[in-house]
Amino acid sequence: MKQVIHLTVNGDSHELYLDTRRTLLDVLRNELGLMGTHRSCDAGDCGACTVLLNDLPVTSCLVLAVACDGAQVLTVEGLRCGDGLHPVQQALVETGGIQCGFCTPGMVMSAVALLGEKRRPSEAEIRAALAGNLCRCTGYGKIIQAVQRAAGEAT
Amino acid sequence: MQPFEYHSPRSLPEALRLLQELGDGARLIAGGTDLLLRMKQGQLAPRALIDLRRAAELHGISFSPEEGLRIGAAVTLRELQRSPLVRDHCPCLCETASWMASEQVRSLATVGGNLCNASPAADLAPPLMVLDAQAVLVGPQGERRLPVEAFFLGPGQTALDRGELLKEVLVPPTPGNALYLKHAPRAFMDIAVVGVAVHLRMERGLARAVRIALGAVGPTPLRAGPSEALLEGSAPTASLLEEAADLAARACSPIDDLRGSAWYRRRMVRVLTRRALDRLCAASLVGEGT
Amino acid sequence: MSQEQPTLIGARVPKLDAPLKATGSATYGHDVRLPGMLHGRILYSEYPHARVLRVDTARAQALPGVKCVLTAADAPDTRFGYGRDNVPFKNQVVRSLRDEVAGVVAVDPETAEEALRLIEVEYEPLTPVFSPEEALAEGTPLLHPDRGSNLFQTYHYEHGDPQAGERESDVLLEAEYQLPYVSHACLETSVVVAHFDPHGRLTLWSTTQIPFLLQRDLAEALGMDGSQIRIIQTAIGGAFGRGLDIYPFEPIAALMARKAGRPVRLAFTRAEDSIAAPARQPARVRVRAGARRDGRLTFRDVSAVLDIGPYVSWGAVTPLVMMETTASLYKVPHVRFHTDCVYTNNPVTGAMRGYGNPQSTFFIETMMDRLAEAVGMDPVEFRLLNANEPDTVTPQGLVITSCGLKECLQAVAARADRAAGESAAGWGQGTPVSPARDPFHGAPPSRRRRGIGFAATLNVGGGARIYRSDGCGATVKVDDFGHVTLVTGATEIGQGSETVLAQIVAETLGVSLDDVSVENSDTDVKPWDVGVHASRTTFIAGNAACIAARQARDQIFETAAEMLEVKPEELIARQGKVMVRDDPERSIPISKAVRRRHFRQGGRIVIGEGWYDPPTRLVDKATYKGNISAAYGFGAQMAEVEVDLDTGIVRVLRLVCANDVGRAINPMAVEGQIEGGAQMGLGYALTEELLVQEGRVLNPTFADYRLFTAADMPRIETIIVETDDPGGPFGAKGVGEMGGTPTAAAIANAIYDAVGLRLTTLPMTPERVLAALDTHQPKDGE
Repeated sequence: MKQVIHLTVNGDSHELYLDTRRTLLDVLRNELGLMGTHRSCDAGDCGACTVLLNDLPVTSCLVLAVACDGAQVLTVEGLRCGDGLHPVQQALVETGGIQCGFCTPGMVMSAVALLGEKRRPSEAEIRAALAGNLCRCTGYGKIIQAVQRAAGEAT
Repeated sequence: MQPFEYHSPRSLPEALRLLQELGDGARLIAGGTDLLLRMKQGQLAPRALIDLRRAAELHGISFSPEEGLRIGAAVTLRELQRSPLVRDHCPCLCETASWMASEQVRSLATVGGNLCNASPAADLAPPLMVLDAQAVLVGPQGERRLPVEAFFLGPGQTALDRGELLKEVLVPPTPGNALYLKHAPRAFMDIAVVGVAVHLRMERGLARAVRIALGAVGPTPLRAGPSEALLEGSAPTASLLEEAADLAARACSPIDDLRGSAWYRRRMVRVLTRRALDRLCAASLVGEGT
Repeated sequence: MSQEQPTLIGARVPKLDAPLKATGSATYGHDVRLPGMLHGRILYSEYPHARVLRVDTARAQALPGVKCVLTAADAPDTRFGYGRDNVPFKNQVVRSLRDEVAGVVAVDPETAEEALRLIEVEYEPLTPVFSPEEALAEGTPLLHPDRGSNLFQTYHYEHGDPQAGERESDVLLEAEYQLPYVSHACLETSVVVAHFDPHGRLTLWSTTQIPFLLQRDLAEALGMDGSQIRIIQTAIGGAFGRGLDIYPFEPIAALMARKAGRPVRLAFTRAEDSIAAPARQPARVRVRAGARRDGRLTFRDVSAVLDIGPYVSWGAVTPLVMMETTASLYKVPHVRFHTDCVYTNNPVTGAMRGYGNPQSTFFIETMMDRLAEAVGMDPVEFRLLNANEPDTVTPQGLVITSCGLKECLQAVAARADRAAGESAAGWGQGTPVSPARDPFHGAPPSRRRRGIGFAATLNVGGGARIYRSDGCGATVKVDDFGHVTLVTGATEIGQGSETVLAQIVAETLGVSLDDVSVENSDTDVKPWDVGVHASRTTFIAGNAACIAARQARDQIFETAAEMLEVKPEELIARQGKVMVRDDPERSIPISKAVRRRHFRQGGRIVIGEGWYDPPTRLVDKATYKGNISAAYGFGAQMAEVEVDLDTGIVRVLRLVCANDVGRAINPMAVEGQIEGGAQMGLGYALTEELLVQEGRVLNPTFADYRLFTAADMPRIETIIVETDDPGGPFGAKGVGEMGGTPTAAAIANAIYDAVGLRLTTLPMTPERVLAALDTHQPKDGE
């Protein structure tokens, strides 16, 4: 069963004719070719597919695309600061918070959501905000530092 | 996943009409964080989904001194966690919500979804039960109210009749303190191994309105009646609290599963009940003094 | 070689691939899209042990969108894998629930999945074998009847005279350990894309850690010639040993692509990855050990049984590493080590980060703590007394060059008295609505106990010869703009090898890091390498890159010497220039020298080649002795824990990690390895266990297989100890695995310090701790 939806992704509007079973993650990767949003657990347990849906962080694997009709979506590809990286991305690069990188786009989006809500989050708040983003490589320390740095509060 | 129709009603009456029309093959969906997962795993294969998120009647949190808090079923855990009204009147619910799943899931998952899945481990159930909350059910016949604890009939089973849906939850104003202790291996992301909620208030040294609810230790979240009866009107002493905790451990019927053994769960009921009672008695005594 | 201070060695340089990964632009296996690409899915067995009587694919074949269905009939009749005991599709007998029976290729994964349900398979169940003990018992059915036994291999090692060691012991202790299945839990699930070109040549986009061995293994499995196979490594979303073997899904993808005549992607789901990808072997281990009253170790006697599952992988070689810890961590005069690797109908196992070392360090280092207590010594003093020393040869034959074990122990011990509060981030920093809940539920101080524990580790740090070559090749090309391209056999799995290798090359050639790019992902382009494992890349590939860079530099010097009218020996390379050492004003840009070399009659290109195979040998087949690594890394950790006496919850307040890495080429990357290793170690200690019942994995999700999250992690304090290894590039040794090897032991020892419990089963879950506390309540009071 298919339906038409309108979706704005990273500022571009799309009219899509979709099987109702498709998740937002399916659509981003397969229909729109936005491969920066990663599929790992496909069950909301790992956060690799985190995007901002109407400004809120969500695991896009747990969102039906048809339920997003009229929504605004921001993915890692939509984060640009002029020619350069977004401050969160830049900080992750500089602190060594990236190893295999598979969790990174989701981690970036969670951090962007946090900093959008709170300019100067405490370390505990950062840890809580990233708790839904699993990383198997870094032990998180450098990622937490990166978020602090991006918040202008590097220790 | 099997193919399904998707409906997104704009109002509560439209949702009820669709529910009526589409019948048993239809499932209600709100946040979808649990339903979609079970559909992906092939445990559920509805022919139609009725998405409740666009029905304005199911949204919003409000407070009145007479009725207390009204929390719409489609309120997300994120909204619950951040609501100043909830923080002022039922901080225990804010805290409970803030520990559930992850930021991303809390943006999606709803209060109604947490209750309607009727998981014995649903985190919101024990605190709502001890807060004496009512579930407001609405169907073709109109509205009816049930205490939240009567809403759960078994794992995955609720008191909702065919054609009914959960509209909101009402939490009466409470002069007492409530606390929910969740026991799980990790700070976030985990389903409770055991959850214990306690409510009481101290009046002239006596415990009043003692309510204790236990999660993940029976087919439904349950009240620890004998413990409540023991403490109600009593002057709590260490030995009395210990006995109440013991009675709570005896009141539950946990099972062995991946997340914990029955013996461990029963033990945690005792430990957490005692700790919650200790903290509430101490907090209430302080409160009484000021 | 210049006498000047290196500039890029020791620099905290960001990973070269980090911007690509931060922006989501890196291409992982799941992101590969080829024209006409189809999707494959695999049908697994319904029984842990059964005869396959009939496979009927007709209905699946008929489903619209299905391109082809494959069974054993589509695969060549050749066996592959470390034990030559595996085939792509099982045609007669299935030996585990992860056994491949058939496969479907369709236009999308959903259609392929639907088609799997239409395949009818008739099985005749056979008696399953779910424990090694059962597997070895008389009359138990054989998994591989042609082998004549369920015992795949025994490792038996001895040095000294263990019986004499026992007699010399003033204290003699004994314990039995039970170690769990552990999942690599890479964030990226296993994935492969296969495509045959019109000439019949196969290209495989893969997350393998062993591209060249895979080329060979795949050739064998497919009945092809290795020259007809090209492996392209995509960005790899976590490896940790998962990619250290050929697994059936790789030849299956190739068979699918061949039959469909189009590219095929085979991507695992998360559950599939937990079931069909390998896990760390569970083990039951009996340890006996002794010491003299003066604190000197006398002997160790270790007997272990490993459940390797239905097929053998390189993981079956992990006893070599367990043996190394047993025989050579500390000076032990008498050692006996005996391990049986046994086939069962349980899940398949393989190599995982540490390769046996997390297991052996857990039992050896908890036993060390017990011995220290038994002889009445401080656990750190006891370890220092017995510690390995530089420039020694262990009875096992390990040639220890640099050795910072004592420095590591002293460094972590020096931090033992600092207050824990400061670093106990994460859990329980309560505000009224706290970001994280209190794991102790506000338990009173009287119901909590704190303790500290230590553990050390020894790990190969200069390669590990488990194949006939432990080599790596490299070429370094310098172009006429002065840009440098390192082509290395080494594999980047996120650990930062390409960055460290670029630093080595840039330093050697005196150019900036921006002038160096690294090619490392295509077997058609890069020279041979045995693979990324055994913490070997910095040491082995680093030496190879260094050799190639020096050769390129010599070529440039040769031409520059003509231009500057000096001898090549008088030149140094700095800041992109070749300069006269004693007169740096006389210099020319490297690019100019390269152009001069290129653009003339009889000109030459600037390209250096390096091949480095360390001066080590395979262990002796009979005695298992021999120096398998050209250098050894050492480390020590100190854990401080708090235990809730009523719930059994263990919270790690601090974890201090010191590692002897020879020389930290990139301290930020070194810290990354240690911190990430520690996270895995914490999981091994406290939360991670693949639960298996009758051959079935019960928790194949991240909901129930619990990795530490950002909110659970303590802050990791890292201390880098530098000992300048004589054989390493710029003195460096490997560090990839050591971050997690001593963690479980340090935590177990801290738990003992806190509550007096010696736990021997991992992970030390609240339930296990509480069960143990029930039989042993500590005394009241602080």
